Amino acid sequence: MKLWIELLASGLITGGIYALVAMGLNLQYGLMRILNVSHGEFLMLGAYLTYWAYVVTKASPFLSLPVVFVALFGSGILIHRLCFRRLAATTPEVEAFEARSLLVAFGLMFLVQNLALLIWGADLRGYEYLSRTVSLAGLEFTANRLVAFAGALVFSLGLIVLLRTTLLGKAVRAMMQSPTGALLVGIDVPRLHPMVFGIGLALAGVAGALLSMVFEISPSMGEPYTVTALIVITLGGFGSLTGSLVGGLLLGVVEALGTHLTNPSLRMVLSYGVFVLVLITRPRGLFARG
Amino acid sequence: MMPVLIWGLTVALMLFGGTLDVLAQSAPPIKIGYAISRTGPFAPGAQVTQEPNYVLWADQVNAAGGLTVKGQKRKIELMGYDDRSEVETAVRTFEKLMTTDKVDLILPPWGSGMNFAVAPLANRHGYPMLAPTALSMKLVEMKLPNFFSMLPQPYVLMQAAADMLAAKGVKTVAVIFMDDLFGLENIAAFEPVVKAKGIAIVEKKSYPLGVKDLSPVLRAIKEKNPDAFVGLTYPPDTILASKQAKEISFNPRVFFTAVGTAFPVYRQVIGADAEGVTGIGSWSSKTSPAARAYFEAHVKKFQKEPDRWASAHCWASLQILQAAIEKVGLDRKAIRDYIAGNEHATILGPIRFKGSEIQFPGTVSQWVGGDFEVVWPPDRATAQLVIPKPAWK
Repeated sequence: MKLWIELLASGLITGGIYALVAMGLNLQYGLMRILNVSHGEFLMLGAYLTYWAYVVTKASPFLSLPVVFVALFGSGILIHRLCFRRLAATTPEVEAFEARSLLVAFGLMFLVQNLALLIWGADLRGYEYLSRTVSLAGLEFTANRLVAFAGALVFSLGLIVLLRTTLLGKAVRAMMQSPTGALLVGIDVPRLHPMVFGIGLALAGVAGALLSMVFEISPSMGEPYTVTALIVITLGGFGSLTGSLVGGLLLGVVEALGTHLTNPSLRMVLSYGVFVLVLITRPRGLFARG
Repeated sequence: MMPVLIWGLTVALMLFGGTLDVLAQSAPPIKIGYAISRTGPFAPGAQVTQEPNYVLWADQVNAAGGLTVKGQKRKIELMGYDDRSEVETAVRTFEKLMTTDKVDLILPPWGSGMNFAVAPLANRHGYPMLAPTALSMKLVEMKLPNFFSMLPQPYVLMQAAADMLAAKGVKTVAVIFMDDLFGLENIAAFEPVVKAKGIAIVEKKSYPLGVKDLSPVLRAIKEKNPDAFVGLTYPPDTILASKQAKEISFNPRVFFTAVGTAFPVYRQVIGADAEGVTGIGSWSSKTSPAARAYFEAHVKKFQKEPDRWASAHCWASLQILQAAIEKVGLDRKAIRDYIAGNEHATILGPIRFKGSEIQFPGTVSQWVGGDFEVVWPPDRATAQLVIPKPAWK
């Protein structure tokens, strides 16, 4: 019994990070139809910034969290202005915009990855932080994994609450439901889009900062998270942040239990299995409305 | 008028520029080409074990005025490309280097799979290749005359590990392995030799490249309480397995992980808990004065330590290549014959080849007193084997 609870918890921990990464991507895709395949690269940047701060100044990764958030939020606004604003203005049709944003994002992916390579090199890097084991109700986990999970939950739930309760959130939800309608009722779309894009990247950065406590980092660490995040947002439904949270946790648990029962080599089969199953039964995602 | 003047000037420049060039550089450089992973999942391994050594070697040789080829000093010009951890890119790049660029020599890519793809091509074009990071019996069995493996093959390494386990009274072992050429060949070599020693394998599971959570498997293994844990792992999963074994307080008497245990980053991220962890390694700076000199030159140039396994094999391969060039010149067939037919002095001691295979014993190393020291076999040991491994703190 204890083993199963531990497996379940371990799956939730991994899933929490998946959820946080996916929510950032969902903000970009669900709201603006920017298929940002370079999302994982910003996770990597967040991880490197945290690592850097830790090695150079011994700054606790917790102190780096707000710094990473602000830095990536800023670069998000800049990138939106440089890459996607003109693209959106010149490409009004949604399908064409999606395809073109995908190409731009591919370019960004190579750019950011190689930037990291130039600065830090391809070495595997890491630091030791909160790696002692703690017992929670008889279950054993390393402190840094629990902290990363807690961080992921705080940021995920924080975002959901923000969107549910504030005026800004209301505006964002309105844009998700109907871009044209939002414009008609006077929502300042040209100002909100870069902001939401920035928040998306900032969430990826935060996820990276949290991950750097647990895993080793390298410039190519981001790509697998982009793939997982794409699965999660499809699972949960485009534009549904609650869906991303639940989808991420679900995927984490399925992977943990599945790899225990079968074989870790089948992890991708399991993830895609869930994915296909949901697509067959609920093609618009678990939490899609209508 | 003007066009004629310009033509005249251009021709004059070409003529004199050309002559000046020839005067300045008495001998053309030796062009040595390679493709290696600078990006992608193989980059961390390639950039620790292999490419820094190429760069350091070229620097040292050029600082000394170059290599002596037929009485003439010639510098080395490295032509290195990124293969992006993609086999097709590596194959295409090597093809281009050997056919279009017509480089004098090539240096191998990183990793068993990459070498498996590139070795037959290099062989066909008659380029000798001394691979410091290819662990594959299949490759050795192809009997390519131009291919030399600088690492002892899986059956040699796994025999050494099994000998050590048996000598320390291990009765049960749990093993995980990566589901690629490296992991599959090593597990195939590992199973028969441990069984021959009367050791039972109580759990055996594979996992994919880029795995993010091994704790479900490790928890199952912990329940079976084996004497020894053996991970036939690559660098990121070596560290992951160690961290997660600690997380669940899985403390077998022997904790063995394969590639990456010898990397300095292992000690950085595992910290004091690295003490007592065993893995594949073959040298330390205590092995020989030449090894120490190499170690110090590497640290001085890159501000990072070389790993305690294949880095030294890579360096030894460059020593062999250098000796061959200075002895027989740049004729690739002659270089190949020189490598195959002689015993070579290297930082790892004398090295000789039998077919493609290096004649070098299997070794096991362990983190002892903050360094990764050779602990098995006893006659190559630079430190005493510590068993049982101290519990994770």
